[in-house]
Amino acid sequence: MARRHHYRRRTSEPAELDMTTFLNLMVVLVPFLLITAVFSRITIVELSLPSSVGGSAPTEPGFRMEVIVRDGGLELSDGRSMIATIPKRGDQYDLETLSSLVMSLKRNHPDDNDASVLLEPNIEYDHLIQVMDAVRSAELPQVDDQETTRVALFTDISIGDAP
Amino acid sequence: MARNRARAVGINLTSLMDVFTILVFFLLVNSATTEVLETPKQITLPASVVEEKPRETVVIFISPNEVTVQGESVVLVSEILEMTSQDIAPIGERLQEVSKNIIGLRTQIVAESQEVTILADRSVPFSVIKKVMSTCTSRGFARLSLAVLQKAPETRTASAN
Repeated sequence: MARRHHYRRRTSEPAELDMTTFLNLMVVLVPFLLITAVFSRITIVELSLPSSVGGSAPTEPGFRMEVIVRDGGLELSDGRSMIATIPKRGDQYDLETLSSLVMSLKRNHPDDNDASVLLEPNIEYDHLIQVMDAVRSAELPQVDDQETTRVALFTDISIGDAP
Repeated sequence: MARNRARAVGINLTSLMDVFTILVFFLLVNSATTEVLETPKQITLPASVVEEKPRETVVIFISPNEVTVQGESVVLVSEILEMTSQDIAPIGERLQEVSKNIIGLRTQIVAESQEVTILADRSVPFSVIKKVMSTCTSRGFARLSLAVLQKAPETRTASAN
């Protein structure tokens, strides 16, 4: 009668799966995909032409919203007279005030969709895009849910030189 | 009496494999969507919330130093700043070359689109952009688009005013 010791291992090891090949594949694939991954998308702002590159004010009567971007700040005009002057806040243009003023103008003229953004020659391109953004649409916080909705304001924007 | 036992590696690799698997699947799906226009490395495009996708068009690339049309460097930004007229002749000539040199399908689509997409760095002054745009319109490219990086819409935090 052979003595059989029932040796039970102290720790029962789980079944070992050989990960080496899988690990090889992952170690090669993940850095490669990370390096070639594109996380920023390019989108385009369409401009309305041919009036977009004209410098002179259009001859239509009535309301025409113009935002004049100068070195010292922004000016808002309705085609005939100045509505507001928004000075720079620190070193940045005050886009929140511009956005709220544009929204109130849109409430008064809900059918007008065109606006002009006029700039002085040395203003940076980035500021043009930011001002166009503020004029084109705005984010309105919804009261019922926590998300904001994007409302179109003046979608037909033309660009020109500041007088 | 030290016994030299060949020990297997004690690191538990399960979690590492989990993370790598998820990462690989995500990145594979991400890189499967190809873009029409690549993000250029040399310049920083401004960011905007617009959502229209770029199309296959003539591409004008304005860096802080020079202007490139469809891959070929045409004129320097410093020269443009000195020009007094609104028309930049080298760009105009290159645009005409592009509309005439139709080699394959892609160049044909680009030439027939009659549209220009402008990729300009953030810091380029407006006068340069305006001169480039008026050169394009005078050469018959009536539609212009400005390329921007897509920015996630910002959630306005309620500020007590």
